[in-house]
Amino acid sequence: MPPRRFSSAAISRRRFLQTSAAIAAGLASPGCGWTLAEVRPADAKGDQDKLGIYTWESYIDPELIQTFRTQTALDVAYDIYDSNEVMMATIRSGKGTNYSVVYPSDYAVAEMIGKKELLRLDKSRINGLENLMPEFQNSAFDPNNAYSVPVSWGTTGLIYNADELKIDITDWSDLWNLKQQLTRRMTMLADMREVMGATLKSLGYSYNSDNPAEIQQAYDKLTELKPALATFTTDAWQNQLIAGDYLLCMAFSMDAVSVMQENPDLNLRYVIPKSGTSLWNDTMAILSTAPNLDAAYEWINYMLQPAIAVDITKRLFFATPNQSAYDQLPNPLRNNQSLFPPEAILKPCERLTNLEPKIAELYDRYWTRLTSK
Amino acid sequence: MTADSPSRQTTPQALPKWLEPFFLLMPAGLWLLLLLVLPTLLIFELSFVPGIRPGQVVNPSGLDNYFRILHPDYLPVLWRSLFFSVSTTFLTLVLGFPVAYWIALKIPKQWQNFVLLSFVLPLWTSSLLRSYAWITILRPTGVLNTALSLVKIPPLDILNREPAVLIGMTYSLLPYMVLILYAALEKLDRRLLEAASDLGATPSQAFWQVTVPQSLTGIAAGALLVFITSMGDFVNPELLGGASSMTVARLVYNQFLGVTQNWGFGSALSMILTLVVSIAIALLLKYGDRSAASGV
Repeated sequence: MPPRRFSSAAISRRRFLQTSAAIAAGLASPGCGWTLAEVRPADAKGDQDKLGIYTWESYIDPELIQTFRTQTALDVAYDIYDSNEVMMATIRSGKGTNYSVVYPSDYAVAEMIGKKELLRLDKSRINGLENLMPEFQNSAFDPNNAYSVPVSWGTTGLIYNADELKIDITDWSDLWNLKQQLTRRMTMLADMREVMGATLKSLGYSYNSDNPAEIQQAYDKLTELKPALATFTTDAWQNQLIAGDYLLCMAFSMDAVSVMQENPDLNLRYVIPKSGTSLWNDTMAILSTAPNLDAAYEWINYMLQPAIAVDITKRLFFATPNQSAYDQLPNPLRNNQSLFPPEAILKPCERLTNLEPKIAELYDRYWTRLTSK
Repeated sequence: MTADSPSRQTTPQALPKWLEPFFLLMPAGLWLLLLLVLPTLLIFELSFVPGIRPGQVVNPSGLDNYFRILHPDYLPVLWRSLFFSVSTTFLTLVLGFPVAYWIALKIPKQWQNFVLLSFVLPLWTSSLLRSYAWITILRPTGVLNTALSLVKIPPLDILNREPAVLIGMTYSLLPYMVLILYAALEKLDRRLLEAASDLGATPSQAFWQVTVPQSLTGIAAGALLVFITSMGDFVNPELLGGASSMTVARLVYNQFLGVTQNWGFGSALSMILTLVVSIAIALLLKYGDRSAASGV
């Protein structure tokens, strides 16, 4: 028998023993643990004619994919997520190797850069970055768009039925002022950070407060409001606001604008509370494990085309950060202050930032207490 | 020589007899090992790491996560989940038994499958869709209240309260209960019912002393299935339960996919959920069969 065969068998066997020992050690013995949810690049390259995209539901539709296909002859397969945390958990579970392009929001971009999950963009392969509005060319979460390209932005605010309410809603404090009158006819988002942030803001604190005393104060204030709230929901308020069951709902601007556009006969209004709110910004980024880099750059370039940005703003109602697209928008949309609020209104607004684990736990405890009383 | 010895000689490389069951069980066994036992062990290990987040090294160090569950913040969540599950189990049993009884004993044989199928039909749609349908029915100006106003009954404010959750969960899980009860009642020995009436039992006596004891195993199995499934349901509580609808399943979700990303605490909660379900199964194994047997 040739010795080569022996040695290769021995190696593979030794490797097998090492691997199983490592698994056993990770499972059993403390001290030499394994790393939770570590992402490793896949060995196999995927189908080069197909681009995997992982995005929010509101950012993609068949028309968008069809136009991309006719322009580039590339096929798109996409999946949908409904929170940054779900997206990041999916990617960390190893499923991310199917996708090349993801759409993380501002704070998630920062977290993913920190965990080396995003690819540093090769600017020579991207056309049209200069079309972005100046404030989107150098964001604090990703200076100089090194890893991400902004695709939309928006605010969190209040939408209400002005015919029924007959008062002008101007600030978060109106929720508390109206709690007798609107008992069980108001909703807030099913989003811990947004609800706590809005309450903190109404108390004059930061949307991202990490001061335990302030967080406690916000919790106390929320418990006063809670009996008057019908529910915490991110989407399910829409039909009931239209039907008149709910009169005042906390909502993301793009959802509010699309409900208002689809129901022009109702006197619905969206306001950005004057004490300030959260300003969010969703981006496109390429995963460090992307199986199809060429197609990923093609997609980003495609989305940066002003004509495409105009098209999706008209169809999907989200605010484009693309200056030349904004300039081409039809007047009613361009002057829509819910979609493109003036600078003065945006001044007191903040972006959500990542919380220290300890502070995040504190938020979570108060939130659990609030929603289980 | 016996008749089968030639065949034994022609296949000398066949497996030894004692290995055959293992060979047949291997696909299912591997499946269970890789997709149930191993993941559960991983969760079990994670539950001993306080505050672990993705990207950190797993280093089991104690029971902190379990002690945390006993904190007054979390006990009400456990109680609410138990309340929803026990109530749903009770409601599906009370509603499902007459239906299963009717299908198994009153409907002509050739129609039984059709009726069963139409009863299970709602399961073919997404559970999310069914919850949204209940919102449309139960909301203040919804289908139910419109109907009530036609007969001059004041509107009911059910949506975003506990009754709405129970309605949604009972509706979702009723088909399972009916299917299992039907399977139990279909095997009912009808001669015993005839004997009971010959011996002077009233129909209600015959029902309680003959039918129910004979179907106890089915009742236990159906109740268990509904209980276990409803412990994991967070769609119905979340969509129909209003502002106070935190359940254990949602709490687990929040630990893994929420802002804290505390997989350790989430794992401990999952283990408690698994424990509750295991206790239910143990109770079934211990008492389910015996009471059924002693009843007959």
